[in-house]
Amino acid sequence: MAKKIAIVEDEAAIRENYAAAFRREGYDVDGYEAREPALQAFDVRLPDLVVIDINLKDDVEGGFELCRELRSRAQELPIIFLTARDSEFDAVSGLRLGADDYLTKDISLPHLMARIAALFRRLDALQKPRSKESRMTRGDLEIDTDRMTILWQDHPVGLTLTEFWLVHAMARYPGHVKNRQQLMDAAQAVLDDNTITSHIKRIRRKFVAIDAGFNAIETVYGMGYRWLVE
Amino acid sequence: MNLKRQVLLVSLLTLVLPWAGYQFIRETESALRAGQQQMLAGTARAVADSLTQYPEEFPAVQHNDHLFGDQLYGHPLETRPEIDGYFDDWTLDKQSLRTMRGADGPIRFAIGLLDQSVFLYVEVSDRKVVYAEPATLALDSGPRFSDRVALISTSPPYLEETLSFAAEAPGPILTYVKTAYGFAPEPTILAHWQDVPGGYQIEARIPASKLGTHLGLVVSNTGAELEAPVRSASFSSRTPGAFVRTSPELTDAAETLVQDGMRLLVTDSAGWRIAQSGSLTMPSAGAGAAGSAWLRIAYDAFVEAGEEAELAEPDASGREQQQYITQALDGNQSVSWFRSSDSGKAVVAAAQPIKIGNTTVGAAVLQQGTDAILSLRNQGLSRLITGTLIATILVAITLLGYATWLSRRIRRLSVAAEDALDSDKLRTSLPSSSAGDEVGDLSRSFSHVLRQLADYNDYLRSLASKLSHELRTPLAIVTSSLENLEHEPLNEASQGYASRARDGADRLRRILTAMSEASRVEELMQHGEPEVFDLCAALGATVEAYRDVYPQRRFVFDTNVDTARTTGSPELIIQMLDKLVDNAVGFSKDGDAINIALERKDAALVMSVANPGPPLPERMRSQLFDSMVSMRPGDDNKHLGLGLYVAKLIAEGHGGTIRAKNTDDGVAVIVTLQGDSDGK
Repeated sequence: MAKKIAIVEDEAAIRENYAAAFRREGYDVDGYEAREPALQAFDVRLPDLVVIDINLKDDVEGGFELCRELRSRAQELPIIFLTARDSEFDAVSGLRLGADDYLTKDISLPHLMARIAALFRRLDALQKPRSKESRMTRGDLEIDTDRMTILWQDHPVGLTLTEFWLVHAMARYPGHVKNRQQLMDAAQAVLDDNTITSHIKRIRRKFVAIDAGFNAIETVYGMGYRWLVE
Repeated sequence: MNLKRQVLLVSLLTLVLPWAGYQFIRETESALRAGQQQMLAGTARAVADSLTQYPEEFPAVQHNDHLFGDQLYGHPLETRPEIDGYFDDWTLDKQSLRTMRGADGPIRFAIGLLDQSVFLYVEVSDRKVVYAEPATLALDSGPRFSDRVALISTSPPYLEETLSFAAEAPGPILTYVKTAYGFAPEPTILAHWQDVPGGYQIEARIPASKLGTHLGLVVSNTGAELEAPVRSASFSSRTPGAFVRTSPELTDAAETLVQDGMRLLVTDSAGWRIAQSGSLTMPSAGAGAAGSAWLRIAYDAFVEAGEEAELAEPDASGREQQQYITQALDGNQSVSWFRSSDSGKAVVAAAQPIKIGNTTVGAAVLQQGTDAILSLRNQGLSRLITGTLIATILVAITLLGYATWLSRRIRRLSVAAEDALDSDKLRTSLPSSSAGDEVGDLSRSFSHVLRQLADYNDYLRSLASKLSHELRTPLAIVTSSLENLEHEPLNEASQGYASRARDGADRLRRILTAMSEASRVEELMQHGEPEVFDLCAALGATVEAYRDVYPQRRFVFDTNVDTARTTGSPELIIQMLDKLVDNAVGFSKDGDAINIALERKDAALVMSVANPGPPLPERMRSQLFDSMVSMRPGDDNKHLGLGLYVAKLIAEGHGGTIRAKNTDDGVAVIVTLQGDSDGK
């Protein structure tokens, strides 16, 4: 059975374009232009993945409301914010509400597709028992590539998809400097310097929340970042 | 010329004050003098009227003789001279001597009156004095002659008498009186013949009763005993002119009429002074000489010139010929005033004709000193000069202070306005903004303009991020449509178009990213957690990286510190360096060296990026770091002029400054950051 994706987006042209692209990949797509109709439909049946715009017509923060509502109904439901708002504050707010990723609208369709595929893959992996092969250990770090989860000192670190990919790219070859382009490719996104800086900061913060002495991510000035294993 | 000088110049106008005051005092003095003249004229009229009681004292009434030159005047003497042939004991000035032409030179003589005596003094120039012999002592009718002086006296219509003064030798001589009946010596006449070099002098005392109403002097000068003498006479007509004597009656009358500080002169119709009394000096004038020297100078410089004071004095010859007196003798009342340039004393005079019937028989001349006016004016002038001097100085100081205050306010305003423009965040509050005057108005309109400028700057600052935000959604529509289009069957031409559209959209996306960079940098700085890092190491590593990125440029990293710990975001600092290096690369040529330097100055860390290349235009220097200002020539429109703006945001976000300057061969951008004071 085809996976069902719901797009909540007030801009009809974008909604239709994304819907067409998703359908081409074989997904079932429902498009909604506002929060209310979307919630009514979700009462009947929850989709497998939701793409939400924050600004819904006159409802400036409608996307956030919708995300909160959905997260309360389904813990595991993948939710992606896709918005024109690129401020750090909005991104943090969205991710705090439990979204799996926060994307700006300049992401390309192939990149978006890759993310959606990855999220579905994770969903599938969660159904299966944990396999040894998919696990990667680097000192205190443990990465489950299938479930896309990361443990630090056996504590789960709540990373978004983009963050996971960034950590994965760095930690796979510890000590190797990953420059910005390599990180961008790994994260399936076109990111500018500041966005990468923000992501790295956010990742560090999440690790530090578990382990105050965390300093495995080193900045190599003028080049990029690398993962250090003691 | 600055404001202070202008106001000072204006304050010079206060010098008009003393001038105006002087004019006022001069007017006052003039009015006072006119009043005094008028009063004096009134007194003169009264005096003249009262003098008409003595018609017999005015010779012109008695004998209408107008040949003034023939008339002789008897000067009143104060003391009785000794008859010794010398003039020096006469109480007359030498100028009083009357002169007539003689054969061997001028003959000078004077006639004096005292009590009932008439005194005669004659000095004759004579190359050769010819003495008389006893036979010729009384007569000179020839054939033998001698030098002699004769007084011819007559009281028309009676016959003449001749008083003949001749000498056998110098010394006392005997006078002979010759009448129609013969001649006889006159012992009541005392005379003295005195030889002097170049002539002789005769002095004589004659009882007044021996002389008539008319008198003439005749000098006979002979070269030798047998030679006919040359006669010189004091009169040109056939008979002698009138002998004018001062009138005791009129003098007595004058004494009663004259007041203190006044002088009264009475003249006959010819101008001969026949009575005089009073003096010009006030009994207790105090002379008013207390005025200081500078006051005197100021006074003389301004004071109105009158006639010479000497003209106020009675004429030495005995005949008053000043114009105002002759006018009175012509029958018109007239006034005049005199001023001495030495003493500054002014004398007011009034002359009033004395008329008997319709005939002017003489003039009464009243003179009065103006000591009162003078002292009034002196005091006034002194007070005026002191007062206006103080006033002028006060006004000048006040104006100077005012101008200083005003110009300081204006300068402060102009400095503040310039500072407000120079500083990054426009300050819109300026000094004097609450003042109610024009400077306040100026300040307020400046503030208004600055506020508008600040609004505009804010608008520009946020324009880029707003624009990028608004454009992102339509751009998403375009890119997603194009990406969908890729999956549609397209012919070759359409694919070309789609590809070009994709390129365009991609470029647009990059531009939008650049435009929103500034706001993201601001955000990062607000939310970022500053960390302590070693700027020196970070720079070294980064410069290393640039060598790979820009192989066509040489990078020189120059530092005099080992470690430079500072607080902030190393990523942002590096990002700033990226912008500066990108700029430096853009303005330099292949093979050029780009110098990156870091040095410590006191607590500050000074980082500079210098590159060879064209210098900065002067007018762009201050705007260089503003949003959307680009100086790149023939731009490939990738540069929106945001790079240096972002660099400035980062530098200032770290509490530092950024500036650009022209170097010898290019441009250097200098960033000053705060180093950790304790860190080494």
